[in-house]
Amino acid sequence: MPLIINDVYPEKLFREDGKRLDGREKNELRPIKMEVGVISNADGSAYLEWGNNKIYAAVYGPREVHPHHLAKPDKGILRVFYRMATFSVFERKRPAPGRREKEISMIITDCLEPVLFLELYPGTAFEVFIEVMDADGGTRCASTTVAALALADAGVPMRSLVSSLAVGKIDGQLVTDLSGIEDKAGEADLPCAITWFNEELSLLQFDGDMSIDELNESLLNARKALDEIHQLQLIALKRKYTSILEEVEGGES
Amino acid sequence: MMNIKRVISTIEKDYISENLKKGKRIDGRDIWEYRKIDISHDIIKSAEGSAEVKLGETDIITGIKYDVGEPFPDLPDEGVCTIMAELLPLASPLFERGPPDEQSIELARVVDRGIRHADCIQTKKLCIKENEAVYIIFVDMFVMNYAGNLIDAGGISALTALISSRIPEGVMKDGNLEWTGNYLNGKDLVKELPLIMTFGKIGDIIFLDPNLAEELVCEGRISISVTKDKIVSIQKSGVATFSIEEIQGLIKRSMELGREIRDKLDLWQYKVDK
Amino acid sequence: MENDEIESEELDEFESDETNREIVVPGEVLTEDVENYNPGRGTLLNKDKNKIIALNIGLKQIKKNYINVIPLRGFYTARPGDKVIALVVDKNPVKYKCDINAKDIAILKPKNTVRRGKIRGSRSMEAEEFDIGDILVAKIISADRLNMPELTLVGKYLGKKENGIVISIDPPKIPRVIGRNGSMIKLLKNLTKCNIFVTQNGRIWIKGESIEYERLLIDAIEKIEREAHTVGLTDRMSQYIENEKQKRGMK
Repeated sequence: MPLIINDVYPEKLFREDGKRLDGREKNELRPIKMEVGVISNADGSAYLEWGNNKIYAAVYGPREVHPHHLAKPDKGILRVFYRMATFSVFERKRPAPGRREKEISMIITDCLEPVLFLELYPGTAFEVFIEVMDADGGTRCASTTVAALALADAGVPMRSLVSSLAVGKIDGQLVTDLSGIEDKAGEADLPCAITWFNEELSLLQFDGDMSIDELNESLLNARKALDEIHQLQLIALKRKYTSILEEVEGGES
Repeated sequence: MMNIKRVISTIEKDYISENLKKGKRIDGRDIWEYRKIDISHDIIKSAEGSAEVKLGETDIITGIKYDVGEPFPDLPDEGVCTIMAELLPLASPLFERGPPDEQSIELARVVDRGIRHADCIQTKKLCIKENEAVYIIFVDMFVMNYAGNLIDAGGISALTALISSRIPEGVMKDGNLEWTGNYLNGKDLVKELPLIMTFGKIGDIIFLDPNLAEELVCEGRISISVTKDKIVSIQKSGVATFSIEEIQGLIKRSMELGREIRDKLDLWQYKVDK
Repeated sequence: MENDEIESEELDEFESDETNREIVVPGEVLTEDVENYNPGRGTLLNKDKNKIIALNIGLKQIKKNYINVIPLRGFYTARPGDKVIALVVDKNPVKYKCDINAKDIAILKPKNTVRRGKIRGSRSMEAEEFDIGDILVAKIISADRLNMPELTLVGKYLGKKENGIVISIDPPKIPRVIGRNGSMIKLLKNLTKCNIFVTQNGRIWIKGESIEYERLLIDAIEKIEREAHTVGLTDRMSQYIENEKQKRGMK
């Protein structure tokens, strides 16, 4: 039976005043909060709020590979498990991982692997668990961003961080950081991620309707916005320690 | 203590039980004392109700979703409430990926018995049209960090999530399901406030709210769910045995502790209006 | 038991003058002056060879002309010569399998557990027997990419622990708990009247007069772990322990 209230697909994605439905400018990011070290049992962890997205990432490793046959004798393996909670979406999602989650897990794995030194950890695995507790557009990008933080928090040596976000087109306009509604009702969606050590893209997907010029412009917009994401990640990583330094140097013991 | 492993060291076992005999615990608590409880509610926008409960370092997030469906044939005017638990692999090196295992099934079932019985959940109010359409309420508990005693934390989070719920109110008009524009809230869903209290047993000592090390070492556990004036359910697990006097003692203590905790937590403050 | 044999190279890092308090993160450029500086621990020269990059989250340190990153987080990697606290997790007639908080399980062979017979005048060698769940202070005799690390119990201060309790902290912070020339660990021992044994794999064995002292020590160690990257920690720990003793009504 259908639900009592159904999911909303608004006609227009821009308001009278030219701003997006949530009040943002075309190139404005949603509010983002990041925190590391949130799951005490994990080797490394991070939590991210990005608009209404609420996502946890935790890293365990290096540890034994289960099942054993997946282990590689000459290098370690990276395994990413992206899952969405049943209540994270409008219509309750079945608990078991679906094809979309498996696809996204693979994409994020490929996206993070270039920054790691897996050859130093033969026969073992780094496992990254991503749990989306509340979803609102751009979850694969937010997940990649928070997973990179969790790896850094774990003390895993990395060539650099990885930052990710989605740009796209709604109502004929190019915008940065699509919300859930914009993702569903918009014309095109381009999630991407950058590995900072070589400033190249390690995640790239595109769906929808854009001209070549629009695509090129979108990539340049994404590049600028990714810098902002990177800064937020760096601040979050350091804040765990700088806040203690301030506390201590402020005279309290 | 030492990083969590499946094997607990003998000296840790001895340390915990020697100290328990003296009424002492490594985290400084009394034998009948809970760890710090932190509750936040309505934290998940996509869910109709939600709560996060931290009991010491144990962390559980529960979300409420609804669906509309046909009632069970033998309960034609009652809605359905189903409780599920996931021990997320990120919560502990002891948790593996995969379908629910014994531990998550136990958690779901004990919380289910602990809060659904004694008419805690007003299933009669969850009926839209007898024999045709009732609410199906999903209470999904996700364990985010495992540091002992998932049951008590799960119970509080499930209850708080239900209390914080806002479910669109439906009505059948000419065979179609329509929204009245109103919502069912916590008071429509929940009538009683049953609290589940879990005790561990090591040797002859019984204590409340096992932390991780205590839970991994204890030989038996007993969870007792109580409302203001009734025992709702009891569940014993583990190989240790409990004498009848011990059980009677625990029943009395659960009622007392239950009243104390219920007042302290004041869960109705988490109801969400409008 | 004392913790005398300390790896001296590890000691100074957190407190040394060459370590500034700048927190760096993976990918951060530590310097572009590749003429005058070399990439040291926890760093890498980039592909274009014009920048030295940090690989870990940690403290920047310049020692002679090397730039190092002292990691604040990380996992333990078995090294020959390290003292570790091992937990026996499995056994069979030819070896014990021990968890040492590293990516691999470590092996202990009976021949490496022998002790001289205690009977006066006897020259017999007895291999001590252990059970699953035993805590052992061991030394790593070999560790390489291909084989599981191997342990020995033959040596000063090594062997099974019969009592006390073991806690874990981040392995990179162990040197801070020991302190320069053992200053921190001496302070902890004196002020909390506990026996303490610190090992490289992030594990610390403690045994105090009472659970109250042990709790105080555990709280103190957690504070050291949390504030490892700050200056003046030794003095602050001294203050902290005295204050807490007062607050908790202890002597």
